Amino acid sequence: MQIAARIQHRVGAFSLDVEFASSGPVLGVFGASASGKTTLLHVLAGLAQPAKAEIRVGERLLCHRPGGVSVPPERRGLALVSQDPLLFPHRSVRDNLGYAPGAAQLLESEHGARILSVLRIAPLLERGVRNLSGGEKQRVALGRALLSDPKLLLLDEPTSSLDAELAREVLALLGDVKRELRTPMVFVTHKAAELLALADDCLVLENGRVAAQGAPLSVLQRPRATSVASLVGVDNLLRLRVHAHDVAAGVTLLEIGDAQTLAVPLSDEPPGSWEHVGFYADEILLCLELPKGLSARNALPARTLRLDAIGHEVLVELAVGEQRLRARVTPAAARELALREGCEVVAVIKTSSIHRLGGA
Amino acid sequence: MSLSDAEIAVVWLSLRVAALCVALSILPGLAAGWLLARWNHPLRTLLHGLVMLPLVSPPVVTGYGLLVLLGRSRPLGRLWFELTGVHLAYTTTACVIAAAVVGFPLLVESTRISVLAIDRRLEDVSRTLGRGRVSTFLRVTLPLTLPGLLAGAVLSFARALGEFGATIVFAGNVEGETRTIPVAVYTLLNARGGESAVLRLVALSIALALAALLASFWLSARQRRLEAT
Repeated sequence: MQIAARIQHRVGAFSLDVEFASSGPVLGVFGASASGKTTLLHVLAGLAQPAKAEIRVGERLLCHRPGGVSVPPERRGLALVSQDPLLFPHRSVRDNLGYAPGAAQLLESEHGARILSVLRIAPLLERGVRNLSGGEKQRVALGRALLSDPKLLLLDEPTSSLDAELAREVLALLGDVKRELRTPMVFVTHKAAELLALADDCLVLENGRVAAQGAPLSVLQRPRATSVASLVGVDNLLRLRVHAHDVAAGVTLLEIGDAQTLAVPLSDEPPGSWEHVGFYADEILLCLELPKGLSARNALPARTLRLDAIGHEVLVELAVGEQRLRARVTPAAARELALREGCEVVAVIKTSSIHRLGGA
Repeated sequence: MSLSDAEIAVVWLSLRVAALCVALSILPGLAAGWLLARWNHPLRTLLHGLVMLPLVSPPVVTGYGLLVLLGRSRPLGRLWFELTGVHLAYTTTACVIAAAVVGFPLLVESTRISVLAIDRRLEDVSRTLGRGRVSTFLRVTLPLTLPGLLAGAVLSFARALGEFGATIVFAGNVEGETRTIPVAVYTLLNARGGESAVLRLVALSIALALAALLASFWLSARQRRLEAT
């Protein structure tokens, strides 16, 4: 599904001024709060009327202003799911799911049954919406949106009102929706891990402007936008292939460099698939020789590529095979180890300091 | 306690007037409540004030206002007579109008507050799910307003049962036509030996008013339960 948009919209002192095109299928919109993410979704959905805009979804022109075209929200076919589930309180779960025109029939069809099974909401059908848990409510909200048979699902931080465990669950469900139902999405988030797990293409918003666009990993690895850097907050982001699981040792081995592996906390991705991991530059110890009797699971031979003195710190860029790592040391340590470009060093990283950020 | 035929006629008239008053004012009440909650315009405050005026002005003044507006020799009253062949003032219709005007603020305020309490994002969601403005109003806004609207209707019903000041001025005291419970009580108080009848009517009107209040509280609690979700 091709989305192309050029939007200029003012809300009070805030202005949204963006131009982008993406073929998704899941376009992530990433940015800090007040960067314009939600406003962008509202303009796409037709709930806010921009002064100037040209919006196309697929072949269809949804908005052309000035120019007199503005398809009302109910005829755009873009269902919105926000961070609050916003279920209709006077309707049962079944009546919420069957709310959209044609949704009640779709609910009884094979496709409807698939939506219910992917979201695991079949057991909730006859319940009232009042006594559902937060995660259940959000699942019903997703089901209600999918049963409107949308051309595009607009997701506005759908996990941010949930606790960490439920957020992971809903994210996994969204992954299933993407894989099994193949519904294109525009997915707004401020969490890097969610972006990596779900999005194929990524738009970074900063103060209502597009600060970057590209594959999620590359956008996050080289955060040109300062807000992204602070949101990511992780200096090392890697996408590595799963080599093997060592359940007894409690680690998963990921391929890094030639015949080298990185031991990370046990993952459930099958060998051969991809895993995103992240860790801070402070978590890397640099040694000149392979240390003995080490509790840390990773001691990777590396080569220093660059040293940057920033304030009272030295940022060292390392090459481990094809991968680039960033380590942070004190100026004293850099002096004592006589670090300069092209040194052979050993990078020591504790397994427990490496965060898994999701597969794909 | 048993009521005489005349007293039964009085109670029956009162209930009929109150029911007609609610039937007459419920749609305008919904429209006004919605408008006062949603219409963002400087004139809104003025409109709100006009609607609420009968709540604070003496009912006798309201009755006089109605008489000036719709009296038998006034232009609007005459126009009505020419169109329909019946008068407005000093008829049962006048009782209904007087009660409706005096009870209107209660109906509107209850509706307005429940419209204000609706999370408008629910309406947005409804639009993106493919329901237009009218359909969204009927499927989301109206059902969520309903308990508040009904609570207001019950209050306005109870107020209509108790309406005296505007009624006596605009509708008078015509037996069988405009003599509602309060008017009958007033009449009996001025007559000799009416005291036992007064007691019966007073007891009945207190019971009706209390029942209406309880019903309105129950509906308001329903409204709050809807909002708590």
